[in-house]
Amino acid sequence: MAPAAAAAAPTPAGNGTSVSAMAVDGDVAAAASQGFSLDPDTFQKIHPAEFHRRFLSQGVRADGRPLQKFRKAKISLGPVSTANGSAMVRLGDTTIICGVKAEVAEPKPAAPRSGFIVPNLDLPPLCSPNYRPGPPSELAQTVSEYMDQVIKSCDLVNPETLCIEPGHAVWVLYVDIVCLNHGGNVVDAAMIALAAALKHTRLPQATYYETESTVRVTDTFTIPLSVKRTLVPVTFGVFDAAVVIADPTAEEEAHLSTTLTYVLDAENGEAAYGVLKSGGSAVPRDMLVACWDDARKRAVDVVAALAEAEQAGNRRPDVAAV
Amino acid sequence: MALAGQSQPNAARKILIPGDRIPLVPDAAHQSKEGPLKVRVGPGLQQEQGDLVAVKAGVLKQAGGSKYWMDGSQKRYVPAASDPVLGTVTARQGESFRVDIGSAHPAALSILAFEGATRRNRPNLDVGSLVYCRLSVANKDMEPELECVDPATGKAGGYGELKGGFVVKCSLRMARGYVNACSPWNRRLVLITLNYSLLNPKNPIVTILAESISFELAVGLNGRVWINAKSCAEVIAVAKVIQACDGAAASDINKLINHELRRLEDAMDTS
Amino acid sequence: MSARIRSDQRKLPSEMRPFYCSSALLSRSDGSVRFKSGDSSVLCSVFGPMEVKIRDEKLDKATVEVVFKAAAGNSTTKERLYERVIRETLEASILTALHPRSAIRITLQVLTDDGGILSTALNAATLALVDAGIALRSLPAGVTCMIDQEGVLLLDPTILELEAARSTHMFVFDNISDGALSNISTGSFSMDEYTSCYDTCFSAVAAVQQLFRSSVEGKVRREHGPEADA
Repeated sequence: MAPAAAAAAPTPAGNGTSVSAMAVDGDVAAAASQGFSLDPDTFQKIHPAEFHRRFLSQGVRADGRPLQKFRKAKISLGPVSTANGSAMVRLGDTTIICGVKAEVAEPKPAAPRSGFIVPNLDLPPLCSPNYRPGPPSELAQTVSEYMDQVIKSCDLVNPETLCIEPGHAVWVLYVDIVCLNHGGNVVDAAMIALAAALKHTRLPQATYYETESTVRVTDTFTIPLSVKRTLVPVTFGVFDAAVVIADPTAEEEAHLSTTLTYVLDAENGEAAYGVLKSGGSAVPRDMLVACWDDARKRAVDVVAALAEAEQAGNRRPDVAAV
Repeated sequence: MALAGQSQPNAARKILIPGDRIPLVPDAAHQSKEGPLKVRVGPGLQQEQGDLVAVKAGVLKQAGGSKYWMDGSQKRYVPAASDPVLGTVTARQGESFRVDIGSAHPAALSILAFEGATRRNRPNLDVGSLVYCRLSVANKDMEPELECVDPATGKAGGYGELKGGFVVKCSLRMARGYVNACSPWNRRLVLITLNYSLLNPKNPIVTILAESISFELAVGLNGRVWINAKSCAEVIAVAKVIQACDGAAASDINKLINHELRRLEDAMDTS
Repeated sequence: MSARIRSDQRKLPSEMRPFYCSSALLSRSDGSVRFKSGDSSVLCSVFGPMEVKIRDEKLDKATVEVVFKAAAGNSTTKERLYERVIRETLEASILTALHPRSAIRITLQVLTDDGGILSTALNAATLALVDAGIALRSLPAGVTCMIDQEGVLLLDPTILELEAARSTHMFVFDNISDGALSNISTGSFSMDEYTSCYDTCFSAVAAVQQLFRSSVEGKVRREHGPEADA
């Protein structure tokens, strides 16, 4: 049985594997006594929710992680050399790339000095069998919208710093976030990528010429974008309305009763910039508070990974791990 | 079994909303000697850890000491076996007709489910025909199936194509015809009253109307009522009464019927 | 702090605007409700269980579709987010397993928007589902609150008040569980502020639940006459 159990736990983490093998073995033994046996892969296919339930009841998850363990955030800055700023983020199998493109636009008359930040998450069919070609999925649209609301309401970048000439020209930053591989918890990966890419963004020097009413841009001299805060998203999943797991994988996500996302400030551990819990099972007050506390610890790790990525060199596609 | 003590607010309540719990406690009077206590749970209620929980809004009803159900109103029909329904033929598909009965899925009416029908002797129904039939199969996972025969006798028993007349829609509660006496477990009783007097004979609407107008009525529990009478004016009068009384307070029904009858008399006088 | 005047007639930060609802307004839909909270008003219509598009068909449960229409303008991703939150909240309450391979369609039309429109829309949808006779495990009800620049918590804010918000919070609670079904919070806030918003909304939802009960009871009494209480 040992090889089959190892297949169910692809990242053997010593302790975790032995417990998981036990859990699955117990089931196989019971099945064998009734005249037929079931290997873990088949069991996962025909009864996925029960498969995860057995692991969680033993305090371990199908990929070998303990319940509260997050996957390492691997961040590299500047993988897209043609973008004004870019970042690639990996959380386990989840891979997300984010590019910031700066364009000159006319400001709205009501706010002549304010530029714009337009986040957009794309979940193309290549990242998961759950997405079809065509208009963006509901998840992609709603996550983009939520990121936009958070960025605006927490004042991540002062929009007036994006002003080139009041009433005539401002920067609009298109933040395109593309998921390459959907291994679960795309929201966290996307927001880490957004935060990293904006921190890494440098704007070219732009001058407005009144007589021609045009803007000229010089790429030889660039100024870093001033980002006020470091947003760290932290997502938890709730299984069977009771068991909280950190950073769910795609297989786990399909069987969760609800998910819980906090957007915290990494430098000021007291502040949060958003909480999103959409439907599903009820989450009691003490669970919301306890998850917030756990989220703070995670935020410290993500900030460390970001700092490491920055040290690793601004425009060199290097990978830094927590 | 009986409802738990009055200390529980829901126990005393008759009108329930979804989520209300009705704790059940053993009642000495109904404690059965034979063994475990049995409670039968009807529409609008679910069992949860020994309690009953309302899932629809309405009045909690109880019959025979241990049968509970919710009496509420809704417009959308959900098929239930042995319900008489009125449907419109929408297509002919080989061995069966496709019939719209107002539910989420169209129902199938086999060409053999008619009195005396054989493979040679097929009923001839056109698309658009109105049929009065009975649900023989109603299961949430299967397509509903209809029949135009009484399975006990093999006779049509009032089922079949309805020609002429007029169909009006009403709420499902109205269609059930104020069947206070009939619990959902007495479907047969509902069926009999609906088949032979076409609505519960105690129903004030039918009795009061029948004193002044002679008409035929076929009531489908899917909220459709077929009306036929000698003149169009009478058909319209009956149809308007049925629609006006739908959802109206019981005390207003007499007034509404008399108002419509006076209008009918005026129309007859001028013609 | 005494008698703090709000942007409308209210005197207290923890005061809700008067809210009421009227049901069965539309003759063609299976259930319809208009829910008003102050000057925010949403009309909701429910159809179902009805036929479902093949690509949305689920073999073991009903598909819940939510369409949210703003008072004016084209629908944007903001409406998409509202639709998702309302759908995922109601999906947990609707007994979808009772109607496999069918659709329950909820359409929300904002009539006037004066703040707290998501919670107003959710309340309208819950009551419209009851009106349509869809089987529900519980009744979810939403309440919005905000914290202004001085750190004062304002319950059920108007659009004018929301403009000066440091953070806004929308919570959904139902009548059977002791936790939040949904929560959207944005802005900048501390854990203490968050928990006090939770507590304020939790107690404010009781008033909405009371309205749910009285409006449903009123409707049932009208239909059943005196026998309803017999």
